[in-house]
Amino acid sequence: MSGKAIIEILGGLANVVIVLIVAPFFEGVLRKLTARIQSRQGPPLWQPYYDLLKLLGKEDIESGESPPMQRFAVYLSFAAIMTVACLVPFGSHAPANSIGDVLVLIYLLTLCGIATMLAGLAAGSTYSLIGMNREMMSLITLEPLLVVAMVIGAIHVHSFRLDQVLAGSVYAAAGFPWSGLIMLGVMLVSFQAFVQRVPFDIAEAETEIMEGPLMEYSGPKLALFKYVQMAKLVIYSALFVALFIPWGHTGLYPLDVLIHLAKCLVMVLGVTWVAATHARYRMDQAIRFYALLLGISVIALGMAVYGY
Amino acid sequence: MPAHKIIERLKDQFGVAIQRADLPGNGRLFVFVDSAALKSICRFVFRDLDARYVTSIGSDDRPYSDSFLVAHHFAFDRTGLLCSLLTHLTGNPPKVDSISKEVPAANWAEREFRDLLGIEPVGHPYPKRLVLPDGWPEGKHPLRKDVAWNYVPEGYDEDREFAFDEPPEGCMVIPFGPFHPTLDEPAHFRLYVEGEMVRGCEYRGFMAHRGIEKLGESVLTYNEIPMAAERICGICGCVHNVAYAQAVEQAAAIKPPPRAEYIRTIMLELERLHSHLLWVGLACHIVGFDTLFMLSFRIREPLMWMAEKISGNRKTYALCLIGGVRWDFTAELKAELQQVLLKVEQEWRAVVEAVAGDRNLQKRTLGIGVTSPELVKNVGLIGPVARAAGVDIDCRRDHPYAAYDRVEFKVITGTGGDVWSRLLVRAQEVFESIRIIRQCLEKMPEGPLQLQLPDELPIGRMGMSSVEAPRGEAHHFVITGENNRPRRWRVRAPTYQNLQGIPAMIKDQQLADMTISLGSIDPCFSCTDRMEIVDIRSGKTTVYTQEELREMARRKVL
Repeated sequence: MSGKAIIEILGGLANVVIVLIVAPFFEGVLRKLTARIQSRQGPPLWQPYYDLLKLLGKEDIESGESPPMQRFAVYLSFAAIMTVACLVPFGSHAPANSIGDVLVLIYLLTLCGIATMLAGLAAGSTYSLIGMNREMMSLITLEPLLVVAMVIGAIHVHSFRLDQVLAGSVYAAAGFPWSGLIMLGVMLVSFQAFVQRVPFDIAEAETEIMEGPLMEYSGPKLALFKYVQMAKLVIYSALFVALFIPWGHTGLYPLDVLIHLAKCLVMVLGVTWVAATHARYRMDQAIRFYALLLGISVIALGMAVYGY
Repeated sequence: MPAHKIIERLKDQFGVAIQRADLPGNGRLFVFVDSAALKSICRFVFRDLDARYVTSIGSDDRPYSDSFLVAHHFAFDRTGLLCSLLTHLTGNPPKVDSISKEVPAANWAEREFRDLLGIEPVGHPYPKRLVLPDGWPEGKHPLRKDVAWNYVPEGYDEDREFAFDEPPEGCMVIPFGPFHPTLDEPAHFRLYVEGEMVRGCEYRGFMAHRGIEKLGESVLTYNEIPMAAERICGICGCVHNVAYAQAVEQAAAIKPPPRAEYIRTIMLELERLHSHLLWVGLACHIVGFDTLFMLSFRIREPLMWMAEKISGNRKTYALCLIGGVRWDFTAELKAELQQVLLKVEQEWRAVVEAVAGDRNLQKRTLGIGVTSPELVKNVGLIGPVARAAGVDIDCRRDHPYAAYDRVEFKVITGTGGDVWSRLLVRAQEVFESIRIIRQCLEKMPEGPLQLQLPDELPIGRMGMSSVEAPRGEAHHFVITGENNRPRRWRVRAPTYQNLQGIPAMIKDQQLADMTISLGSIDPCFSCTDRMEIVDIRSGKTTVYTQEELREMARRKVL
């Protein structure tokens, strides 16, 4: 094995460790801030770690329609999101370049959504099936936005390589091209939907369909799913930062990691604020919103092709 | 239309079928009619005289008049008149013409007296069981006088499952309840869903029917019943407490002292305040807007503390006895209540201003769960649900009780008839309640709290009382009786009518809107029938079944 491959693997592993450590902390910040906005005391910042530990230590009850598929779904979901963590840059450039390109990243993100759908299917109750249905609808309409954003970047830098696209590529052509700025706006308003928080937590909507696909999970598997949700918040923030806020690197790896995480934290604070001030949308309203954004982003794609 | 005019028109129209009319004064009218003409008289009163349907009552009157009694209650809101149309039924089994085709709002009430008293509503459009469980044998009717309060018939199959109707073709069935995060109490809706659209539903409730009326008629005494009545509802219990006391006072022609009336008014409005704030919170939670949920609960909390300071309890105030109230307001309590009201008013004004223009909240509530004035009339919807549809009814103004005739307030109405206008109506009613309490605190005269009562209340008199609960009109009907307890006591809580409007409100709208539509009537079912006990020392968890719990309750071991 060449030295380069080892560095790539180590870099990827470092990312996984960062995500695993930071994700519950970000969730803790989110909960605490939500509580303050709602004039509550709120749990301690470390509560999500305790929650995960507690869930991991609980009895594993398999109550759904098809336990093997439920098991598969949760492992698939966790594995997919951790693989994504290997591919996303945290501080330095994207570490695992030779594993895949931007397209692999997109497939893996889609796989996460598919795992949730499998979970809903395996639970087999009416409510989880509704949740699965909703997850599918939002996957189909929402995921293309991210694809368009990355493809615009790829067009500007003439490459699908991770380290080139995930480094502010959307602005690469001629200063601040219109297409990049438009996509910045589109991704900013749809970011809440990618991390599946209120007002776009429609597929899980506790007060409507009782957590939908997750309803039959308990104990360690529920812990893994919760971990995936927390990791998603970090990873989508990291992706957004890498694509749209690439500035401020010092060249010193540990410092760069901290700077990158600080930027991610700002995204999390934004998510928290939106979630605390909105009511949940209905599926049809959300889909209409995504469709509008998709229209705008296709226009941006056209502009990118012509160099704007 | 004044009462004597109504009697005149009824006599013109139906002649000898109108047997007797009593006008005890104070806006009450009792008309005894021939049972054969009951149906057409009800249609005439409901359609031609445009009265509002209140409820229907069956009663076992055999020990006194050798017959069963059926009463249909109507309200003339513009003239402040509550009208009862009564008829005696001598047949065996007793039969009466159903009025549900003419007055759709009577659907449940007629099925209820069919279940509980065995009075057959002939020609009922949907004669399915309502109150009794499916496993209860035919021909046993718990509210009859010859049945003991704790009677369980032979062959009662507790575990029998409900028999449901066939869903319409092309529809999938989605069960909603009896346990669901947004349904705090047991009730079951079988939703017929086509894609994401709800096409209809079947309701099964009364899963924890507690038989409080039967207890009142057979075990408790006049002054014990207010405490039981208060426990009918966990949120607006004081309403039932007052409504019952007023119904008895009315039957016995007693008037409580003025200070007691003012105290009743204050506590009723305090209850409305905390109930409305609770509702806004829960409604926001249902649509996922938890920040406002938390805020309204924070704003509400000082009111609960205040209630505890005044009555000794956050929720169950134990306010009324017949002819008065049980405790007083001191000068310090009055001053502190003023302070709390000031703070609540300020904070609530800020919330209402912030919400009034909230597009995001409107998206989930505008045009959702719509009721038209026709639906309000036909199904007998009441309270904020009716007012939001532009139907200007409010018992506090239309049938004044306690001290409401001595205070000024506005009746808030809306126009949309949807969830959004119900939200606005309730939000504004909070300010009116604060106004009412302030006026009461100012005008409250000194004086006694409790009237000296005669040793025995007169027997066989009837009284009815409507109290505007936070959810709508709560109606109590009492026939006074022997042994220091009423012969018949009938309670109609507001949700009883409002729930009947739900199928029309959720039809042809999205499944996601079901929870907020149901939530928007502020439903109030009943309470739990099963519990879990953890032994702290051993950490052992035991789940008791309904049967075991009942045994324990009878042996008093818990």
